[in-house]
Amino acid sequence: MYGRKACQLVKEFASGEKGQLTPFNNDLFDQVVAECSQHHGELQSLIRKMQEEGLDVQTARNADHYGALIHLFSIVRNKRCLTAYVYNRAETIRNLLWKIGPVIPKEIEEKLNHWEEEYFKKHSAALKSYMSKVLVDLTVDMVPPKDPYIQVRVLEDIREGIVLSDDKNPNFARHSMHFLKRTDAEKYISRGLMEELTG
Amino acid sequence: MAGQSNHELSLFSAEELEFIAEDEIVDIVPNLKMDPLCLISGDFGPFTPQIVTQVPLWLAIALKKRGKCSIVPPQWMSVEKLTQVLEAERDSQEMSEHLPFHYVEISRLLFDHARDNISDAYMVRSLIEDIRDVRFHKVETDLEAFNGRTIAVKIKNLSAMEVNIVRPFIGRALQAFYKHDSPDLIPDPERVSDRRPQVAPNAPRRQLRR
Amino acid sequence: MASGSVEGEQSSLADDYDALISTTDVELLKRAWRNEKAAPEILRFESDLITRVREQIELMEETVEEKLTVGTDPLSVSLYQMDLDRTLFLLRSYLRIRILKIEKYMFHIRKTEELWNRLSKDEKFFTERCTDDLKKHLEESVLSKLPENYQSYERQSVISEEDDMVPEPRLDTFVLCRSKEYLTGIQLEDGPVDDRSKLFEMEPDVLYFICYKSIKSLVESGKIDLL
Repeated sequence: MYGRKACQLVKEFASGEKGQLTPFNNDLFDQVVAECSQHHGELQSLIRKMQEEGLDVQTARNADHYGALIHLFSIVRNKRCLTAYVYNRAETIRNLLWKIGPVIPKEIEEKLNHWEEEYFKKHSAALKSYMSKVLVDLTVDMVPPKDPYIQVRVLEDIREGIVLSDDKNPNFARHSMHFLKRTDAEKYISRGLMEELTG
Repeated sequence: MAGQSNHELSLFSAEELEFIAEDEIVDIVPNLKMDPLCLISGDFGPFTPQIVTQVPLWLAIALKKRGKCSIVPPQWMSVEKLTQVLEAERDSQEMSEHLPFHYVEISRLLFDHARDNISDAYMVRSLIEDIRDVRFHKVETDLEAFNGRTIAVKIKNLSAMEVNIVRPFIGRALQAFYKHDSPDLIPDPERVSDRRPQVAPNAPRRQLRR
Repeated sequence: MASGSVEGEQSSLADDYDALISTTDVELLKRAWRNEKAAPEILRFESDLITRVREQIELMEETVEEKLTVGTDPLSVSLYQMDLDRTLFLLRSYLRIRILKIEKYMFHIRKTEELWNRLSKDEKFFTERCTDDLKKHLEESVLSKLPENYQSYERQSVISEEDDMVPEPRLDTFVLCRSKEYLTGIQLEDGPVDDRSKLFEMEPDVLYFICYKSIKSLVESGKIDLL
């Protein structure tokens, strides 16, 4: 059936997890492109046939006219699906830039085709150039800022390897309470050596 | 390609709502002496021990965390006021107007950071939760009254958090009504009865959620 | 001043003036940020406001730096820093939402004069680069492989009478809004149902869910705020 493969291509994109990419389906993509050329060939030959029969292609409403229309609509539909596939993947690629920054990890790079890699690089450069003009980095501060300091209680004595951003060297004795930068405290909290105090 | 909706762009996250609520002004009683702060968001202070002054909530919480002040809970956060609000909420389908737009966020921030400054904290918290529940239920009932003729919905006294919860639903529902009401989209009645012969021709249109 | 008898009036004028200037630029930026976040289309770039906010940020950065070097107490320095961080977040988020909208509707924005004129100089430059890059990407990946009459990225084929492949924002999205004053005579647009031709009224400080198209011009003129 005409248009089925194009539909499959779009469905493949739509059924993927939002924001995630599957490998570019070159095989199916090329088949749809080839279908377009076939339809175009059929369309041209039907028009030629009508002309040879002395019919006015603009006004004649015979079987060949409707046949030609079906081929025209099939090309347009295939084109929309192909474009939608590339366009929506491009949108996902742009969003990746916001999520993971300008360097693509290997496992994602493998899913892009050559033009998509190029596009990623170019778009990333455009964004970088905008940010350097307005002198504001838009890739940080994705969520509203919080007080950089938190209150913590030490759960177990910590004697070694204390590194704080302000170069201080506090005594993290068990049950002692401290006022630390959240970024400094997080590594101790995640290891269960400290707890954050609220209220 | 055309006509994608952009709900993800138009929603405020819980963090963003909290950020907005943190600009609400509260009374604090400092226990330190500090010169006035000339901030981008306004001038605050001077700070003198035992002298009440007004600051934005984020500033109040920052000082409180550092042990430099106590926070005076807003008037509506008392057992007496909240009991009245809860009764009013239960008695009427209308939303009470005695709570600020950000009551959910403000009370949560104060519970997290200034619990010891709230008298009857346990009671206050459970009253606020009850009020929330009653109000959510009312919002749901209001939504049931929607129909295809709804062109705009007027909501008195809905709070920020409630707005955020109903927003995606109302937005999409109204959009769908709006779209399906357009005459060129109403299907040919003959075709409909062809496809669904089991539906009696005079059957009333099904109401939403009833 | 003509006479002393209008003193009372003068002071009330002064009060109004105070109220007016006491709306800080951060408040205005927050309003612009909320409107931009909630509106389906890109709004006018708040050029003067952004310039002023940036100046205040720079000034504050210098102040904090200075306070650090002269050894002001760390408490007040950290409070100044937090105030600065909050303002920076608003500025970044405001600019970011606009860039995200441009990325999403770049072709539409570029070809629609009204929208194009709402962009800042830097945004215009960014949009030009973006559209050129995406156009090239579409051409190389798809369009150049199609038969001759179907190679436009804007139109399905040469017989299309309008740009039928350019994504644009839905202006019939419902938005949440609030007016500061009593507004009457709002025309609800495009309704086949009789109710929609009626004029609509808005009470101050009451929230309304309403079709964006109907109140678009009131958002642009600053009469209505989106939430």
